[in-house]
Amino acid sequence: MSNLKVSITVNGERKEAEIEPRMLLVHFIREVAGLTGTHVGCDTTNCGACTVLLDGRAVKSCTVLAAQANGKKVTTIEGLSKGENKLHPVQKAFVDKHGLQCGFCTSGMIMTSFWLLNKKRKLSEEEIREAISGNLCRCTGYESIVDSIQEAERRMDESEEYIEEEIPARRGR
Amino acid sequence: MMPPAFEYMAPTDVDEAIDLLNRYGDDAKILAGGQSLLPLLKSRITSIPYLISLSEVKDISYITDGKNSLKIGAMTLDADLEYSPTVRKNFPILSDALGQLADPLVRNMGTVGGNLSHGDPSNDLPSVMLALDATFKIRGKSGEREVHSRDFYMDTFVTALEHGEILTEISVPYWPAASGGAYVKFRKGTWNFSVAGVAVQLQLDNEIVKKAGIAITSMGPTALKASEAENYLKGKKLTAENVRHAAELVVAASQPSSDSYGSVEYKKEILRRISVQAIKKAQTRAEVK
Amino acid sequence: MDLTEKLVSGKGNFVDDINMPGMLHLSFVRSPYARAKILRIKGGITWKDVDLKMASVGEGATKGFEYLEHPVLAKDYVGYVGQPVAAVYADSPYEAEDLAETSVEVDYEPLKAIVDPEMSLTAEPMYPGLKSNLLADKYLGADFEIKDAPVIIEDRFVNHRIATDPIEPRGIVAAYDGNRLTVWVSTQSVHSLKEGFCEIMHLEPESVRVIQTDTGGAFGLKGGIYPEYIVAAYLAMREKRPVKWIETRREHLLASRPGRGVVGKMKLYADRTGKILGIKGDVIVDSGAFAGGSGEFSARFIAMQLTGPYEIKNAYIHAMSVLTNKVPQGPYRGAGRPEAAFFIERMVDRLADELEMDPVEIRLKNATTAPYVSPTGLTVEASKPFLESAVKAMGYHDHVRKGNTGFGWFVLVPATMPGETARILVDGGTVKVWLGGNAHGQRHDLFVRSILSDELGIDPSVVEWQKGDTDQLEDGVGAWGSRSAMMGGSALVEAARKLRKEVENKYGKYSPQKLLEGKWDSYEFFHYDKPYNNLGANLITVHQDDLGVIHVRECISYYDLGKVLNMDNVIGQNAGGCAEGIGQTLYEGLMFDENGQMMTSSIADAGVVTADLVPRYKLLLHKSESSLPSRAKGLGEAPTIGTPVALARAIEVATGLRIRETPINPEYLLSAKKFH
Ligand SMILES: Cc1cc2nc3c(=O)[nH]c(=O)nc-3n(C[C@H](O)[C@H](O)[C@H](O)COP(=O)(O)OP(=O)(O)OC[C@H]3O[C@@H](n4cnc5c(N)ncnc54)[C@H](O)[C@@H]3O)c2cc1C
Ligand code: FES
Ligand code: FES
Repeated sequence: MSNLKVSITVNGERKEAEIEPRMLLVHFIREVAGLTGTHVGCDTTNCGACTVLLDGRAVKSCTVLAAQANGKKVTTIEGLSKGENKLHPVQKAFVDKHGLQCGFCTSGMIMTSFWLLNKKRKLSEEEIREAISGNLCRCTGYESIVDSIQEAERRMDESEEYIEEEIPARRGR
Repeated sequence: MMPPAFEYMAPTDVDEAIDLLNRYGDDAKILAGGQSLLPLLKSRITSIPYLISLSEVKDISYITDGKNSLKIGAMTLDADLEYSPTVRKNFPILSDALGQLADPLVRNMGTVGGNLSHGDPSNDLPSVMLALDATFKIRGKSGEREVHSRDFYMDTFVTALEHGEILTEISVPYWPAASGGAYVKFRKGTWNFSVAGVAVQLQLDNEIVKKAGIAITSMGPTALKASEAENYLKGKKLTAENVRHAAELVVAASQPSSDSYGSVEYKKEILRRISVQAIKKAQTRAEVK
Repeated sequence: MDLTEKLVSGKGNFVDDINMPGMLHLSFVRSPYARAKILRIKGGITWKDVDLKMASVGEGATKGFEYLEHPVLAKDYVGYVGQPVAAVYADSPYEAEDLAETSVEVDYEPLKAIVDPEMSLTAEPMYPGLKSNLLADKYLGADFEIKDAPVIIEDRFVNHRIATDPIEPRGIVAAYDGNRLTVWVSTQSVHSLKEGFCEIMHLEPESVRVIQTDTGGAFGLKGGIYPEYIVAAYLAMREKRPVKWIETRREHLLASRPGRGVVGKMKLYADRTGKILGIKGDVIVDSGAFAGGSGEFSARFIAMQLTGPYEIKNAYIHAMSVLTNKVPQGPYRGAGRPEAAFFIERMVDRLADELEMDPVEIRLKNATTAPYVSPTGLTVEASKPFLESAVKAMGYHDHVRKGNTGFGWFVLVPATMPGETARILVDGGTVKVWLGGNAHGQRHDLFVRSILSDELGIDPSVVEWQKGDTDQLEDGVGAWGSRSAMMGGSALVEAARKLRKEVENKYGKYSPQKLLEGKWDSYEFFHYDKPYNNLGANLITVHQDDLGVIHVRECISYYDLGKVLNMDNVIGQNAGGCAEGIGQTLYEGLMFDENGQMMTSSIADAGVVTADLVPRYKLLLHKSESSLPSRAKGLGEAPTIGTPVALARAIEVATGLRIRETPINPEYLLSAKKFH
């Protein structure tokens, strides 16, 4: 099988590599870009531990080929904090509201929350629960995660000082 | 789990994709969003030597108002259709289905064309298209043809798509005023897929049903159109009795099999109940407009 | 950055995040049959390379079933689908998976599988030389006869097997420098693992080091040692290259040790006033195909707890662990406790219905009024005062008036024995702490900080909780069985007090400044070999919709936790456990066909709950203190014990159906009278 050359912009940095066509985006992120914050928790596209933003949309990177992301923009958990110690309000809220226990689902949860809050505000609890229904957490029972997202929403309303992601305008009508 | 090796090609227009499909014959398959295909490859249930990706093809992802119908490009993301204002306004039945299809992350990658082409009887969009009387535009080496949704589903994972053909556009006819629809789905516990789903679209004229489109999900080898129920409702008022009878006819159209999610009888009972719910919801929506 | 800040920034260090030059990736070839003879194996690493047997270590470890021991790699026989038969390796995980598919040939001769544990009781023995398929067989209590008991109720209950399903699957990296084997592993106990490596591979303790990575949940799964770990260590030693193995979710469902899988057949004797006169029963544990899981231990453990918080004078229980052609059973959060509570609480609810009494009234009638040791050996304090305050605090009667309410309560038996270790190292102004049990998501960092800031008067931010490392702490037990705050916390309190003394001895007076300026190292093994049980109660309300589906509305816990070391920690443990309890009751199960093939295909199919299916949780505390140095009582498993019993009852009230099984079949729920 012939290798493919791809160029993917990960957290603003262009990564070029020759890869096997079958390489999953999650492995490109972890092995090629060396960013291990994106996790793998299942093989059936259920858990969302691998969630990243692909051109502004939250997707499960274990079910995207790196080749499909060629020429596109990927944002991972590592791309949310500005500089070393500046956490994004969503990250900060997860710390303060105990939105994590073991922390394995956390990157994915935060990426989904980040996508959600960039897209829409004034979310009802039901909408939040629905939006994270593709992300499994076995530790928290979800309550503290919902609290964290609500807290993040409050903080994002108040502050402008964080990384934003352009969520694509809906195409067509 | 990781997919077995394959060659990957990403042509930039549909004709080139068709050429590639024809060149590699049985060894090639279209890759749309990959949300059905990649899990299959990862579990190594199947292997596909040549994947022809449509992700770089331009002009195949759109939602536009045609004269008589809504045109949806095959590569339109489920999520884009879900949030489309036209769909929200004119086709709540589609919004219902899309809002419950898989999860929000899968919908950000999965495509309408992929959902319809896969031929999985558990996919939600086929029955909605059957209820709405949609037609599919298919392009192959010898040109373009249109196939009515009713003639598209032949068997599990088998559709009217011939080898080397691509589904390019779905066209959903506008229903006249006083129409409305609903999709009701009964989930498999914590799983997204359904034990049963039912799509109902109604056109009313002073409380009388002028036209009905009804189809079901997960209840047989393919999505199934409940033609007898559709015909029965035509010209009738939606009395409790008529609704119940129509639901009975929907059940009669189903061909469920028993599995760990329930017996045939149970699945039919669920279908009976959600059919009543869907008809009532469709009626309410038709009356509001 | 502290631990949580790292985890929210993607800077955790989970086992799959480790990459080393020259690292090899392992993949396994597994049995496709539940029971078969192996006629021939060609290719890969096989038993010819690693002719070793597994030992039983960790939670519920048992010894003495030598000929039933699980081989590291199968030799001439396989006993369950998913059993490791051969291993392959490559430079990348993709290639390793390709090789597993293509490079090993195995010829099997399939045999008739024994799938159902009750059928196994009367089936031909699974192995030559066995008289029956009983792996463990014990009677607890004493036989009794009650002539003409006014009420006799008999019933049968099942908790199906469930996958532990932490979101991070199992995984290990092993490396060997010619002298010493070092493994990095996602675990609940580096010390159990070290013991396991030494025993199975005949290694000296000095030549093994086990280091815990960030551990992405465990719930009982990661306390023990597994064949895959031994093969990884073997290969690392043979090739002198680091070796990584990461479990896939498919492998997890098939071949890691699941929990529950228990049948309870109960008989209850009572008089017409509701006083329970005695219980008899059979506990049948679906142990799987080999010893070494927790199966043979858990039957007895469940039987012991069957008298619950009640003063039951007569009890006689037959505890049986039965061989089946499935992967060995293991501990899953609760590990025997939820099963016992489910069986006895369902029986007490049946009695209430039989006598048309309020379920709480029946419970009050039978609660203990003084410390009590039951015929099966369960120690209970006076449970009646607890029950009275629970009923009041939870507003039981108001809820009952509103309808569809279920109440359940239980004795939590934490795994206190034999105590736990702790080490405090003060150097350069920071305070590092190791506990003998290794957290896998319970946030020990939180209570460690609380304890040390209390005991030593230091700022919590200088305290750094450390992951397990056998080189940093010489011995230890493990994080399971609701024991960490009690045992680990007590060891830490004692170590801190020792430290305080040392500072005092040196400077005449203790001060935090003096402590932080110096270099100190304090170790403590807090020995404890008695039970220390506590009580808990849960209340749940539900709604059943037109399709028979149950929606949990309210989920209230009322627990006696002793001193709360850290409130956020406690709230988090309760919430997570309630979600798992709801999951077990309504959704979670591993299903097998008659050939022992697993029908459950994914983590979604296995029933792990999603955010849209669970309610908010409420935790109320019963004020008390324990006499342990940490003043804490057990918590971690409480919600997985109390939630299923309360939920099952709420569903009985809402549907009029008798609940005997988890997960509850949705089809059964639709058979409720109101629908017909
Ligand atoms: C966890 C999970 C849950 C899910 N739950 C649901 C659910 O509840 N309901 C539901 O409906 N679906 C569900 N799905 C399936 C999902 O909707 C898929 O996205 C969809 O079925 C396929 O769309 P795709 O674009 O990803 O297609 P792909 O996976 O890329 O392709 C699917 C098949 O269609 C063919 N194909 C694709 N596009 C074309 C085309 N334009 N012309 C010809 N052939 C084409 C491909 O060759 C392939 O055989 C779920 C998927 C996952 C992973
Ligand atoms: S790893 Fe991607 S969904 Fe589980
Ligand atoms: S915090 Fe452990 S899985 Fe979510």
